[in-house]
Amino acid sequence: MPALQESNAQKRKPEEVMEKPPLRSSTASIPISPYETSSSKAVTSSKSSSGPQQNAVVFSPELLRIYYDRLFPYEAMYDWLSYGVEKDFFNRREWSFTIQPTPEDEIYIRYQSFKDLEEFKSAVIKRQPNKIDIGAVFTHQPKDHNNLSKDVFHTEERELVFDIDLTDYDGVRTCCSGANICNKCWKYMNMAVKVMDEGLKTDFGFNNLVWFYSGRRGVHCWVCDESARTLSNDARSAVATYFELPLENEEKSLDLNTSLHPMLARSFGVLEPMFLDHLVGEEGMGLLSNQEQWVKLLKTLPEEARKAGIAAELDKEWTKRDVSPADKWKMLKSRIEKETKKEGAKKQRKFKGDESERLEMWPIETVFRHTYPRLDINVSKMQNHLLKSPFCVHPKTGRVCIPIDVSKIDSFDPFNVPTLPQIVSELESYAKENGESKNVPDWQKTSLKGSMQFFLKTFLNPMKNEQRKRRMEEKAKEEAFTGDF
Amino acid sequence: MFTSSRQSSSKASTSTTNFFYTTPPSYELSLEDFESFALSRLIVLRKIEELKVKGLDRNQYNDALKRVVNLQLPSSGPSPSAKKHNEKRDLASHFILRLAYCRTEELRRWLLTQELALFKFRLEDLEKRGGKDMSAFMKNAGISFDKITQDEKQSMQSQLRFNMSYRDFEASSFYRIPFAEAVDLIGRRLVHVRAGMAYVPGGKLVSIICARFRSHLSRSLAKAAASFSHVSSDTRIGPLLKNMNKQYTGRDFGKQHTVEGDMNASNVDEYAQRSMPLCMRQVHDGLKKDHKLKHDGRRQYGLFLKGAGLTMEESLLFFQNEFTKIMSADDFNKNYAYNIRHSYGKEGKRQSYTAFSSTTIIMGPRSNPSEVGSHHGCPFAHSGDASLAALLGKMGIGGKDRDDIMAHKKNKMYQLACAKHFEVTHPGAAKTEGVDLDGVGNHPNAWFNSSVQYWKNKEPAKKDMKGKINTPMAKVERAVVSPGSGTAKEVV
Ligand SMILES: [Zn+2]
Repeated sequence: MPALQESNAQKRKPEEVMEKPPLRSSTASIPISPYETSSSKAVTSSKSSSGPQQNAVVFSPELLRIYYDRLFPYEAMYDWLSYGVEKDFFNRREWSFTIQPTPEDEIYIRYQSFKDLEEFKSAVIKRQPNKIDIGAVFTHQPKDHNNLSKDVFHTEERELVFDIDLTDYDGVRTCCSGANICNKCWKYMNMAVKVMDEGLKTDFGFNNLVWFYSGRRGVHCWVCDESARTLSNDARSAVATYFELPLENEEKSLDLNTSLHPMLARSFGVLEPMFLDHLVGEEGMGLLSNQEQWVKLLKTLPEEARKAGIAAELDKEWTKRDVSPADKWKMLKSRIEKETKKEGAKKQRKFKGDESERLEMWPIETVFRHTYPRLDINVSKMQNHLLKSPFCVHPKTGRVCIPIDVSKIDSFDPFNVPTLPQIVSELESYAKENGESKNVPDWQKTSLKGSMQFFLKTFLNPMKNEQRKRRMEEKAKEEAFTGDF
Repeated sequence: MFTSSRQSSSKASTSTTNFFYTTPPSYELSLEDFESFALSRLIVLRKIEELKVKGLDRNQYNDALKRVVNLQLPSSGPSPSAKKHNEKRDLASHFILRLAYCRTEELRRWLLTQELALFKFRLEDLEKRGGKDMSAFMKNAGISFDKITQDEKQSMQSQLRFNMSYRDFEASSFYRIPFAEAVDLIGRRLVHVRAGMAYVPGGKLVSIICARFRSHLSRSLAKAAASFSHVSSDTRIGPLLKNMNKQYTGRDFGKQHTVEGDMNASNVDEYAQRSMPLCMRQVHDGLKKDHKLKHDGRRQYGLFLKGAGLTMEESLLFFQNEFTKIMSADDFNKNYAYNIRHSYGKEGKRQSYTAFSSTTIIMGPRSNPSEVGSHHGCPFAHSGDASLAALLGKMGIGGKDRDDIMAHKKNKMYQLACAKHFEVTHPGAAKTEGVDLDGVGNHPNAWFNSSVQYWKNKEPAKKDMKGKINTPMAKVERAVVSPGSGTAKEVV
């Protein structure tokens, strides 16, 4: 969870925190989640339906050390977050580290800043943070925040970020809950990413955006266009609420207007097929696969419609003969259509106006309730909100926060994301087969290769090219202005 | 809803004022207007703040706001000159408060919030009146939007038409506006957005214009803050500006709302002895001595008496009684009666004037003791140390009480000196039931009201106290002061 909240560590004097060297003892263990047995010294993989590495070590200080020494993409991160602008831009970025000097003690250090790549890299290697968070770019280097008044020291810009987490789907997913995930419920993430990615690009015209696996049970989106980075908090809130539907309350109606907003209409077009593919059938959430489930769903029909016997009729028919879940949905929809159509010469409706409207919107509301993105919008609303850095390793799963290729989102499998022990052993195997090749960057020797290439090719390099082009245009304009006439 | 913002009306609608406040006024303003204008606006803005927390519905809120705006900041008037005056008040007061509230983040945010609410209220009102007024307003404010062509509108029909009847859609123009300028509409999903541009129907432009006003005012406040120290170094308006946010708007002395006592022409003397602050006491005693009062004193004292509940008829009677000791009734009627009636709103612009606050008097013109009938001003601020000390002594105030008052005076804390004067002449007032001390030291009429409440409470002891206080006012020594012009130049 991205952190704005003050942890205990924040209340300590930063100097005090800074002086304390991180513990590097090989016997250090990390608090184990309630789902795991606590005998192990290092973290083992948590319960998963398709984890071949069940109970294997997924995270340890030694492995993390190798990762930070050889694999973490410092250069790419520095390149990205410098945006090719003024020299002190990177230096004014807030970083925060979560370090664990002893197993019982987790310290959260905010307001770190680094003047260049070297300083950034050596701080990470020295501190061995369990987690790295990225904050806003401030008016001054965040290191100095204690010496500056609030009038002077404030946020200047920040990527527009989105955080979607499967724990917010506990009201609809039937397979897992809490921190656990499986391939069934991961489909919710696919749906959310498709809707958000399309909306951010088509509606808001953002180009430079990239999605990351959060390392455990969700995804993050970083929108990096200059127009997004400079948005005010008000504008961020507006973008976030533009995409928001009040789904947190299962009882509350979404109050959809029969004349749907174009964004919602488009989203329905994307989500309904996924609803049918992944949620109604036995292999998904089974919403229409057995009587117990479909009765539950039919109960959500507006009361008047239920009284009129629609639910009972359908239930009878579906019990009588074998109808596929997708066909059940079709029948349900056409039945509703029939009921809400204006009939006869008098154009009279069977139900009262708003009752009829609610019935008409029921299929859309139902699809949205089960598929529409559930954003943690507080993360998006403020410039001064930290979010976990891409390419971190999640301490509970050992998985790297790698970028997600939205065009191939359907085949993204969170259980195939490279883990810390996996990539470290890949390094070793490579060395055995090819020797310690200094010419090949270490990440190319591991299964991070595909992710890194994707990141560079589809996000970082195009963005850098755009920046270069814009700088050249500006320069040309300047020269035309100051040149000879 | 206005379908064509481009229709150029040769004569702008007469009922459109430029409340976008693009250009500051360039005229001079009397110090009195300076403060009274600002107070009018403060009353409105504070009312807005108060109404917002009441949880009223939209109509109740608008009605309540309309009442106070019509009373304090009307944008039109019964005659061209009254309208002009009202427009001047609106424009000047906005810029005065902009300057007074630019100093701190907190003040800026407060002003921004209330001004935006006032702006929105007026803009919606304007919009109800139709396209012509709205177009004129936008033209005045230099606002224009990128209207999409009919072809574009038709080609985007399926996206633009949501939530709109066919007829409304046909009648609407659509404007292409960067989404960051339409955050309110975007956040509530009220408009279509494509490639970073919001497509806003004419009927929803109010929201966009409000957002522009907000950023315009926000930027202006930041700019004003940067130059505040320069402006506030002006010794006349500086203190006014710095104290504006603490200004007393609780009661409006002069509109004869709640006044204590039963003042009439024959008992003014009695009230002067017991319940008037030093500034009024000084004018009163001067009037009794000279049977004459110069303009500034008549205004200061006349409006005070009006605020203290003296009716116009009684006021005419009171001044006539004094003045006719050295002139004929005819002369009095010819030269002075008009002004008194005027200050009650019965002549000229028919504006009802309100009594001066302490700040106005302190910042206002000083009296010239060498002139007969010149007794106005604030004795704490305008008199020399020696003469004030002597004056207090003659009023029976000595020892530590006098020292305390003099200490405030020397620290230039004139209003504290005045409040101290109240304290020593009304022992135990703070603990006396029914005495509201709010405003003592800020407004002479508050001082007066509190005093009357006090004496009402002490009624059984009235006679004793009366005897004690009723020391004959000796000749008031006055400090030599330079006359002030009473005009604030190029304030804003
Ligand atoms: Zn699951």
